[in-house]
Amino acid sequence: MNPHRQVIFILVVMPLILGATAIASVDDAQSFALQAAEPYVREGFQVREDYWGGDLAAGEKKAVRQQLFKGNEYWFWLGTEVRRAKVSVHIYDKEGKLIEQPDSWQKGSYAAAHVVPTSTDSYFIIVAIEESPEERTHWALVYGFR
Amino acid sequence: MISAFKINKWAGITLAVIGFSAQAAPAPQHIDVKQYKKVEDVVVPLPNEVFAALNKLGPVNWKEFVRTEKGVNFSERPRTALLLGNVIADGFIAVQAQDAPAVKEIGQRVLSLAKGIGVGASITPHAKAITEAADKRKWDSVRQELDRTQSSVQGAMNELQDQKLSQLVSLGGWLRGTQILTAVVSKHFTQEGAELLHQPDLLRYFGDRLNSMPEYSVPVVESIKRSLVEVRPLIETGNRPISPDAVRKINEITTRLDGEIVTRQ
Repeated sequence: MNPHRQVIFILVVMPLILGATAIASVDDAQSFALQAAEPYVREGFQVREDYWGGDLAAGEKKAVRQQLFKGNEYWFWLGTEVRRAKVSVHIYDKEGKLIEQPDSWQKGSYAAAHVVPTSTDSYFIIVAIEESPEERTHWALVYGFR
Repeated sequence: MISAFKINKWAGITLAVIGFSAQAAPAPQHIDVKQYKKVEDVVVPLPNEVFAALNKLGPVNWKEFVRTEKGVNFSERPRTALLLGNVIADGFIAVQAQDAPAVKEIGQRVLSLAKGIGVGASITPHAKAITEAADKRKWDSVRQELDRTQSSVQGAMNELQDQKLSQLVSLGGWLRGTQILTAVVSKHFTQEGAELLHQPDLLRYFGDRLNSMPEYSVPVVESIKRSLVEVRPLIETGNRPISPDAVRKINEITTRLDGEIVTRQ
């Protein structure tokens, strides 16, 4: 890069990049969660418009309690816009027993948990930021059913 | 429901790279769920979630539950919020029945109610999309727009710091959904159908929310509060299944409440 372009890069492009990072939000995390959901929509899952999110430090976890209906099949998708972060999502029943299907998955800034409830009741969706280069990491959870 | 995602280039690229073959990392088989901070007390399902489960138990004649009466508009905001949730649930019923004229009327009714409560602007595009999708008999799109409508209405209420009204929208939808669920299960009782009523945490959640809104102490809200107390022992049966009598009783209660929500008293 010639010196003139370097100056333009430092004065114009870098602030834009840094600014974009600074204004990253839960909405950005939601778009990642929805990306993870996209292939499942083609399989007939109705993805709900609402989402749940916030920010967590690495190693922190939170629970979303949710009413699920026997007969339906659910996927929960978790995403973050922090590309080097690792997130996870798991589903437990009221007694704290892991009840997700073995095809649930976790990879970097995306994770998904699959559940076919054996009873109609409320369940706990546990979201976690396993690792992250950021002090606080946005996350968003969306779900779908069929 | 979504068909057009908010596209994020990086998300797409990353997903393409990782693929979907990743395995779940080992998670503890048991946890103490009480130790976790909760994001939300309990997520309230949309009526179409319980309708989807109901559909799997056998054929349902959804047409008999379609309702399109224009009804009245209220000046009290909590009443309008309850009615909004109720009418959006009617929209989901009309979709189940694949009744395009009803869907279109309901879309306009939702818009009128939302305007009355000051959040009409947020749902005008959805009302238009509902009409267009109904004309084309694109039921998945109508369902998606109804979901978006409720989400937008509640989002607008939350922005106005009116979370309590937003909770009343959810409650209105849940009551109408429960009324239909119990009507269907009462007609052809099955244990599996009755089990769909097992929602004790939701019941507790709504009870707590209503108790925290003394400023909205209109008669219908007070009536719902008392009724939730009546319903609780009918669905909190421990290991015993929910009985046909309990289902009938809940239907009577929710039908009475529905009358109070939709009519001026």
